[in-house]
Amino acid sequence: MIEISQLAKKFKVENPKKLSEQEKKDPRLKGRFFHSVQNVNFTCDKGQVLGLLGPNGAGKTTTLRMLSTALQPDGGSIKINGVDVLKDPIIARKNIGFLSGSTGLYGRLTGRENIAYFGKLHGMSEPQIDQKIDELAAVLELDTFLERRSENFSTGMKQRISIARAVVHDPAVVILDEPTTGLDIIATQTVIDFIKTLKEQNTPVIFSTHHLDEVKELCDSVTVISEGTTKYNGDLASFESLVPGSLHQSFLTSIS
Amino acid sequence: MWLVFTKEIKELLRDRKTLFFMVALPLLLFPLIFGGVAYFSGKVIKEAQEKTLKYALVGAQYAPEFAYKIAARDDLLLVETSVPHDDVAGIKALVTTQAVDFVLVIPENFSNDIVAAGQLTLSLYLNDAGLNNAQRRINQVVDEIAVANQANAFARLGVSEEIQVGLLDPILIEKISTADKREDLGEKIGGLVPYLVFILCLQGAMLPATDIGAGEKERGTLETLLISPIPRNQLVLGKFFTIAFAGVTSAMITVGSLFVWGVVMSQGMAIQLLTEFMGAISALDFVLMFLMLIPVVAIFSAVLLSLSIYAKSFKEAQGYMTPLVFVVIVPIIIAMLPGIKLEGIYAWIPLTNVALAIKELIKGTMDYVTLIPIFLSTTLIAGVLIAFCTYWFKQEKVLFR
Repeated sequence: MIEISQLAKKFKVENPKKLSEQEKKDPRLKGRFFHSVQNVNFTCDKGQVLGLLGPNGAGKTTTLRMLSTALQPDGGSIKINGVDVLKDPIIARKNIGFLSGSTGLYGRLTGRENIAYFGKLHGMSEPQIDQKIDELAAVLELDTFLERRSENFSTGMKQRISIARAVVHDPAVVILDEPTTGLDIIATQTVIDFIKTLKEQNTPVIFSTHHLDEVKELCDSVTVISEGTTKYNGDLASFESLVPGSLHQSFLTSIS
Repeated sequence: MWLVFTKEIKELLRDRKTLFFMVALPLLLFPLIFGGVAYFSGKVIKEAQEKTLKYALVGAQYAPEFAYKIAARDDLLLVETSVPHDDVAGIKALVTTQAVDFVLVIPENFSNDIVAAGQLTLSLYLNDAGLNNAQRRINQVVDEIAVANQANAFARLGVSEEIQVGLLDPILIEKISTADKREDLGEKIGGLVPYLVFILCLQGAMLPATDIGAGEKERGTLETLLISPIPRNQLVLGKFFTIAFAGVTSAMITVGSLFVWGVVMSQGMAIQLLTEFMGAISALDFVLMFLMLIPVVAIFSAVLLSLSIYAKSFKEAQGYMTPLVFVVIVPIIIAMLPGIKLEGIYAWIPLTNVALAIKELIKGTMDYVTLIPIFLSTTLIAGVLIAFCTYWFKQEKVLFR
């Protein structure tokens, strides 16, 4: 289970002149600081898929980066299975699998080497890695390109290797930041199927997206963030019931 | 740390572009370019030396013996002319219209009797702007006659041989250098070695550094790496050692290649001189030079990695790194200037002191005790820069710009 409460993150504005018009009008801009995330709360139980929604610039990526320990929060707490991960990021990192739409691979390494490198970084032994790659190759159908250099992979191939790389260490939680953005329909389906597999395995998944059809297909609960603050928390059924018949309208209602 | 290092090296070895610049270029292309230039310039000079020059002689009637001796040379070809003695414009025109390569004007008072005629002046008209061997060839003929005339005059005047020598060169300076061959050659080329090695190290480290920092950002692999459970300092050190290793390897390959090709291409004396020179430098000196190089490479690598991780893209990283070459060149140039010695303030300028120390080691005049503070201070700078690099790698404003 993951519990996030009162998460906050501010960034120093180095050059106020470089801010866009929209950013200048944003109420989160206070003096020399931009309070990107101000008060984000949500909980995700075992076997649950949580959809993180919000307009562009709402603070979704910043929130997920804090969850993945890439960024250090200024306030609030993140607990995975009751353990405060902010106190020891190294332990947190062992329990988290992270993937975003813009994640790349090392082009000059083969698919297998890419996965194995991260397995080793997670302290796995060679036989453990080989066994896990065999398992993942069967689930994600990697066999045809696993031994090839990844620089010539199609987007779908890249995404499948990236998925394998993200879960090679059997993480307790999987975090996906807009994992389907920029992917074609087939590659998107790979990601969706993968999330379903995780759900079957009882692994909690948190993923941000702009596609409400994905939310409908996959999510058990929904969190809506706007201007760095949680505006809505609830299960999918109650989110749909905000404006019955249109998830888009439900979304707009939740942030208004 | 070694995990990161081995992975980076594996990637580096599979990168054809970087390998080309690091290995193929110094191994084949540099010697080919240098060798090509040497070959063609040698060929041009040889051709000029062997080319038969056309000449005209004005006033040949005043010195028939001289005219005969010039005409007897194989590399000079007489072109008959009727331009009179006093027509300077006409004589010059012969050269400018390229009718001849040079014109020699013999004065009316030409005589083999120095006592009667005094000093003689022959006028040589030629286009001296180009490569020209006319004067050298004429001198060979003139010297022969002049020496004979001198001997005749001395004999007639009854001057003894000792006095003759004294009259011709009244005072001589005999130079006795206390510097041995190694010190002499070391002073001349010793400054060049650190220059070459430093710049090559920097250049060789630059490409992998760009790839390892900015490249990870651009390809979208950095974030995943940052959230893997490896302490940040180990990640930095893994990358740092890759850059340092690439820098040293690249420099060694280039220096080694230049040395081997130099030996192959040079002949006779040059090889003898080089072997003697290299033989005079002890193994200890070589080891010390290499040791001095380590903190320097560490400085370069730490700075390059810091710049690279700050940059958002390859292009930006290259933009930051190019001026670095100029920053590095200045202290090395200082060390190359004549008269700059490893003392006073120069012993405290980073890089300059190492370059000077390497020069002293090559010359064989190094005071080994001085090496200790230089080594320690350079290592300290390198340590501070590596610490900064690790700090830099923890800064969110650097990683997520």
